Amino acid sequence: MSSRADLTRCADVAPLLVFYACDEVSAEERERIDTHLASCPACGKQLGEELSMQAAFAGTSQSADQLDPSGALLAQCRSELSELLDDLSAPPVREHWMPFGWVRQRMALRPVWSAAFLVLLGLAAGTQASLWFSSRDVGNASSAGIGQAMNIMAAPRLTDEDLSKMSIAGVNFASASDAAPGTLQLQVRTEQPLVVVGNVDDADVRRVLTYVVANGERFDPGVRLDCLDGLRERSGDVEVRRALLAAARKDQNPAVRMKALELLRDAAGDDAVRETLLEALQHDANPGVRVEAVNLLVRSLEGEMLDVPDVPGVPPASEAVSLPGDPSVGRVVRALEELQRHDPNRYVRLRSAAALRQIGPRDLQ
Amino acid sequence: MANVQGQAAGVGAALATVASLPHADERCLVAEAQGGNRAAFEELVRRHDRDVLRLALNLMKRPEDARDVYQEAFLKVYRNLHRFRFECSFYTWLYRIVTNVCLDHLRRRQARPEDQAPELNSATHDEGISDFFERQREHRPTLDPERQLFGKEIQGRINAAMELLSPRERVVFEMKHYQGLKLRAIGDALGTTEETVKNSLFRATRKLRSQLGELR
Repeated sequence: MSSRADLTRCADVAPLLVFYACDEVSAEERERIDTHLASCPACGKQLGEELSMQAAFAGTSQSADQLDPSGALLAQCRSELSELLDDLSAPPVREHWMPFGWVRQRMALRPVWSAAFLVLLGLAAGTQASLWFSSRDVGNASSAGIGQAMNIMAAPRLTDEDLSKMSIAGVNFASASDAAPGTLQLQVRTEQPLVVVGNVDDADVRRVLTYVVANGERFDPGVRLDCLDGLRERSGDVEVRRALLAAARKDQNPAVRMKALELLRDAAGDDAVRETLLEALQHDANPGVRVEAVNLLVRSLEGEMLDVPDVPGVPPASEAVSLPGDPSVGRVVRALEELQRHDPNRYVRLRSAAALRQIGPRDLQ
Repeated sequence: MANVQGQAAGVGAALATVASLPHADERCLVAEAQGGNRAAFEELVRRHDRDVLRLALNLMKRPEDARDVYQEAFLKVYRNLHRFRFECSFYTWLYRIVTNVCLDHLRRRQARPEDQAPELNSATHDEGISDFFERQREHRPTLDPERQLFGKEIQGRINAAMELLSPRERVVFEMKHYQGLKLRAIGDALGTTEETVKNSLFRATRKLRSQLGELR
């Protein structure tokens, strides 16, 4: 196909006939090929075939003529291109500032790995957060010197005037199914009906219960008993104990007095409580109250004797006699002896005698 | 007031520019388009898109593929027009882009057997026809109805034979025989030398002769 080739042989001319037929040879090549064709029938025949083939191509309709004879496709292409150019020419929408754009781009290209990475990241963050919160809670508690949860009482809503004017329509103990254990519902009637809900540690609840117990004459005995039950868990509280002592001494209902004494059982060694027990022992009109007082006194004395440490040469508690330095013990014994002899109730007399035997010899008499 | 008059004069000049675009020199149009003149670019498209679509249709044989080639090629032109340095004609530069897009599409199609052009209808294979080129001589000059029938048959056979060419050979053959371009222009469009284009055309012609010669 080089113009420098010797174009006298058929082997050199034949490859050029294709280009000769489509007028793609130089003038020099054309002249030499013409010279060769004039004396070579074989190359002339081949040239004829080339020309026939080109004529066949030229004579057949082109695909473009068949596929878009009306020019509709061209119009459609122009329209679509115009729309594309409109889109390209439109001012670019300014993206909001998005940090970590490269991260989002990488994650978009690897969705599976990205999802796995996010799950692991969430797990790690959740684990670390829970550890951090727990350590912070421990740190706060230790720094405050508190090893356990504290109950913080909210400020009371009921004033002293409300308490002095209120009446109790009912005391309901919520069941464990619908509220936390120890939850009370007090239906209070003041100037406006009021329902106080909470446990005994709530300020309003405790104030209402204590007030009812301490001022029993204004309330129904059943309400007073319910209030005593409500205070059972906090009988060691100073205010509660004061109310219990008042109820044990002054309440008109013996069941209330007896329950008040019962709630004072754990504090029977307290002077005020023992004084109240002695008073009940000597002056309460109800034999059940007096028996309860005997029981609590004996229990308190036994408790005190059990608290004395074993010292060589000192008799064991069961044989102990008394605490010589405690004057109230002598009063207890004397009160019991008085009951044993003069109480109108036979059971009280028997129980007093048993109590005296229980607490020991009478060398204090 | 003077400012308003100035603006009106500017708009009038712009309108005059747009109205004169069909008659503008191509070099000026390209320069205007490079400066962001959308109307100038669209005028360039109108001048050449018919040939571009024709080339695409002839090469791709499918209107939807040709449409894709059209859009892709002119979008490339639009985006890269600022890189055009007038080192060749805009036509050559445009055809370089178009032929590259066509080659890409053809190569992708070749890699997917299911995208090959449909096979010839066997009903057109008449046993009585023995010589392809003889038949051309007989029927081409006439306008009788038989010519249309044979024309369709010949068209189908040529299309089938074209499918056997490589994408580059097909583009070269198409540009030479259907677009009428000179080999040098084809080389410029394909970004290669005239000698390379000659080799491609030679191989394409031999393949076609081999396929169409089986009918003898």
